[in-house]
Amino acid sequence: MTRSPVAAALVAAAVTAIASCAPAAPAERAPQKEVAPGFAAVADTSATRTGEATVQLDYDTAEADGLDPQTAQWARTWMLTGLSYETLVTTDEKFAIVPELATSWTTPDDRTYVFTLDPAATFSNGRKVTADDVVGSLERLREGGGVWSGQLGPVSSVEATDASTVTVKLAEPYAPFLAALANTPAAVLPMKEVNAGTIDLKKQMVGSGPYVATQHRQDKSWTFERNPSYRHADQVKITKLTVDIVPQDSTRMAALREGSAQIANFNNADAIDLLADSPKTKVFAQKQSDYFYLLVNSRRPGSPLADEKVRFAINAAIDRRALVDVALGGESAPTAAAPSNLPGGCAPAELPSAKAGPGKAAGLLAESGAKNVSLNLLIDNSEPVLAQLAQVIQQQLAQIGVTVKIEQYDVGTYEKRVLTTRPGEFDLAIGWFVGYVDASMVTRWWNPKLSGFTSGFAGDHADLDALIAKAQATGDESARAAALTELCASADRHSEIVPLVHRPSFLAVDTSVVSPTVQSDEGYGDFLRHIADFRLLGK
Amino acid sequence: MLRWIAGRVVSAAVTLLGISLLIFVAVRLMPGGYEDVILGPLAGPEQRAAVAARFGLDQPVFVQFFLWLGALVRGDLGISMVTQAPIVDELALRLPLTTLLAAMSLTVTLLVGVPLGVLTAVRGGGGRGGAAGRLLSAIGISLPEFVLGSVVIYVFSRYALGLRIGGFATGASGSGAAFQALILPALVLSVFSVAATARTTRDAVLGVLVEPHIAAAIGRGESPWHIVRHHVLRNIGIPVLTLLGSVVAYLLGGAVIVESLFNISGLGSYMVSALGRRDFGVVQATVLFTAAAFVVVSLLTELASGLLDPRVATTRKGVR
Amino acid sequence: MTLVSFARRSRVAPRRRDGLFTVAAGVLAVIAATAAIAAVVPFAGDPDAIVGPRLSPPSARWPFGTDALGRSLLARVLEGAGTTLLVSIAAVTATAVVSTLLGMVAGYCGGPLREAVTRLGDVLYAFPSIVLAVLVAAVVGPGLACAVAAIVLVTVPLMTRMITAAAASVAERDFVTTAKISAVPAPVILGRHVLSNIGGTIAVQGTYALSVGILVEGGMSFLGYGVQPPQSSLGSLIQQGGAYMAHAPWLLFTPALVLVLAILSINLIGDTLRDRLEPRETRSLG
Repeated sequence: MTRSPVAAALVAAAVTAIASCAPAAPAERAPQKEVAPGFAAVADTSATRTGEATVQLDYDTAEADGLDPQTAQWARTWMLTGLSYETLVTTDEKFAIVPELATSWTTPDDRTYVFTLDPAATFSNGRKVTADDVVGSLERLREGGGVWSGQLGPVSSVEATDASTVTVKLAEPYAPFLAALANTPAAVLPMKEVNAGTIDLKKQMVGSGPYVATQHRQDKSWTFERNPSYRHADQVKITKLTVDIVPQDSTRMAALREGSAQIANFNNADAIDLLADSPKTKVFAQKQSDYFYLLVNSRRPGSPLADEKVRFAINAAIDRRALVDVALGGESAPTAAAPSNLPGGCAPAELPSAKAGPGKAAGLLAESGAKNVSLNLLIDNSEPVLAQLAQVIQQQLAQIGVTVKIEQYDVGTYEKRVLTTRPGEFDLAIGWFVGYVDASMVTRWWNPKLSGFTSGFAGDHADLDALIAKAQATGDESARAAALTELCASADRHSEIVPLVHRPSFLAVDTSVVSPTVQSDEGYGDFLRHIADFRLLGK
Repeated sequence: MLRWIAGRVVSAAVTLLGISLLIFVAVRLMPGGYEDVILGPLAGPEQRAAVAARFGLDQPVFVQFFLWLGALVRGDLGISMVTQAPIVDELALRLPLTTLLAAMSLTVTLLVGVPLGVLTAVRGGGGRGGAAGRLLSAIGISLPEFVLGSVVIYVFSRYALGLRIGGFATGASGSGAAFQALILPALVLSVFSVAATARTTRDAVLGVLVEPHIAAAIGRGESPWHIVRHHVLRNIGIPVLTLLGSVVAYLLGGAVIVESLFNISGLGSYMVSALGRRDFGVVQATVLFTAAAFVVVSLLTELASGLLDPRVATTRKGVR
Repeated sequence: MTLVSFARRSRVAPRRRDGLFTVAAGVLAVIAATAAIAAVVPFAGDPDAIVGPRLSPPSARWPFGTDALGRSLLARVLEGAGTTLLVSIAAVTATAVVSTLLGMVAGYCGGPLREAVTRLGDVLYAFPSIVLAVLVAAVVGPGLACAVAAIVLVTVPLMTRMITAAAASVAERDFVTTAKISAVPAPVILGRHVLSNIGGTIAVQGTYALSVGILVEGGMSFLGYGVQPPQSSLGSLIQQGGAYMAHAPWLLFTPALVLVLAILSINLIGDTLRDRLEPRETRSLG
């Protein structure tokens, strides 16, 4: 062993070499500046070149009903099918409802909505969009019984008042109605052809939107070409949009660096720093209303979590600011049940658990009488941030003497144990909700009768159910905000579904070629919402 | 000899049947089904049951197995539950890529690994002179594909070095573009197999060199090159072939990490994503293909060994 | 130059100094000892504790820098090296025992027995290790046991195959035939003649299996079935660090360097062990 010092010296030398060639300490990131209120980027309208662009996405859509938008369960499908379909209304950068297929609408009373259609609207097969298409689409959505028919609310009738006017009546006031109409599952479909059987919605997208999908290979790529029938076709500058599915972050970054893609999405906040070596690439952060949650299973027989005091102590022990700073690289913010960035959303600092704070959590736990609490914490392996959140929470709970064992499973196993088995086979679990664009939409899940799946880990609380109903029936803004604040506090006290922090989304763009429009906030996971406004730079 | 060959073929078929049964049952034992993954939590139990029923997942497993086997015998691999399109269509698009990648890596392995092994053995023997060769091949089998692949991707995307990472992503088509896009992944893949082959070859050559007939050849004054060609190479065939067989099987089915790093739509990524979604038909088809590749390659190496050294065939028959 | 005159015969002297071996054994000993000491006395700090800013480069305070959560990479690499060595050695020991028994019996007896073992190996080889990992994780929970089981099942087929082939060729040698004719019982022949003659193969294949095992462990961690966070292994550190190469290269290269050095040392030690376990004549041409 006479040479082992030599070996040790070699190791040391190699380590030193690595250390010395490493870049300097990463500087604190400056917060993203808005170029216009609500926008992280606005396309340069002086650029008029038309051409092609390639987008790389981390995963593809996969739905039980293929491309049929009405039963689509995942935000990725909403975005991709949303390239071809249009909805009556849409949302803007402040989550306000603005016209899309309907040029205007009136609400004669709080249960009646009258929409006037854009006469120029045309499906990609060349046929004009009619009031009958709207009626047929909404009827089909209602009858389909999918998730979105629940979000659409208590629709009692849909009628074509004349060739360009549609009247929707609700059985009772429902504040999120327009917000629900603004997502792709409520798209207006070519119902004449669908009813005639000439279009199979599962396999084909014939919509009035900016693009037509000319090719799709599952998990590999899509080709979208500009829809010549689109009423604003001349404004669409990216005439051919290739969407490649590239699961590896580092591979998408490589594509941006070398120029084989111009746009790519990331979930990892560090993408901003990781692409800093490519000066032409700019990374835009989008704060989504989506948020991560911690499920605290109160339904497991014999679990200490059946005691609300224990659950609340765990809730109070979580320092959300630390989650943002450590697990999400600062690119997020705490939230309550009603997403903090939506109109009427709750202020997380006002929640009972936040007022108690980590400092009092240990005392709260001691009060409950629970001792030696040892819990498992389930996450799936779909993205690294889940493990990071889990590890920070593990340390925070250790502070109050709760032992947490992290268990990571593949998505199928996780879904089975956490979301479909009743009661759920877990103590704690981390996942995320889509936040939608109206605060009454995601908060529905706190009522197990409305959500279904939450009954595996959360109880049904009459007070919370009443607040959920009250908030969604209240049209008046300030009254609604008050109801939501109560709702958030009640959800917080029950501590079964514990909202943590917003789930950010990052869009990296080669700004030497593409001038994008990117909202600072987003509710339906649609980071390509303004793709039809993107401009191409250069020759 | 013919009887022996027939026996090998029959046993290969039995192996494939065993594999198909095992994988069929195993994927169905995995927690969570297609309906859980594809529908997500918001769908109700009725919707879940309806989706399961649509694909016959509600039937007893043995019924499902025989239905699948029956279709397989007729040459029907079934459909993917996710795309609801025939699996064979997707395989037809992916197989050429996987095969080309495997062929390229194997070529590198043969052209570099075997000569390197022979050279280090013949030149260096077991002594000090072999140190460089040993070190080189040891480094080769010690480098994880993931590390090597990550470095290659970063370096080639950062500094324009002529080869693009996103060769497939740019929508390039045609075999020329595919070949170019596969050069880097093939090189990354070959590092391990080159090193492993060099080691095995060197070991085998060293074993042969001490045989009496080599001493006789040296005594006859034959040149080293002549000795290698005529006495060594044919005697190292069996272990080297066995290893190469494993390398080929690995390349044809298991290059998951390299496929995902370089975004190659080959068999490995198809299987992994199907597993994640519990798309059973696709898992079965890809595993069966990988297994078939392995079994066929094993069969061929065994047959080749039998031809190289007829004793293999006789002893296997149990004649002693 | 008459090449033949350079042909020489030499016998590997078991005690002959071997530079590579010494260096390799030294490196491995340093890695293993440091990891072991760190496990008992956490001189580099708690590997799970968040101690500083995220992604800090190597400095006097954090010699290997910090990771994406702000933990000391030195502490994590030490813990990771321990985990990786422990898991891989446990798994490969199991593999070596199973493969040697199966391979020796199969290779010596030949016929239907060899056939059965070979086919079983083929079935296992073709079985995707990810399916296996998901199944084992569902039954015993993800973690170290799951990783060990997966490594064993991945490495057994190839090692058994190679040992079977080696044992079969030994079984044909004259001294085995002689022993058979002299009615020496089969277990004695296996133990005395076959085992001693396939020692080299076991050593070489064992080191392969060890390096493959370490790689498989990394792959398992990548898919989330290996060590569970916050515990680290070299494989999981490399997988997590891979994403940060452009910005925090130490996260990839430090654990990768330790891993490569460890595998390299094991392989070189395996080579030397083979030469020593199986002292044989060597000859070089030219």
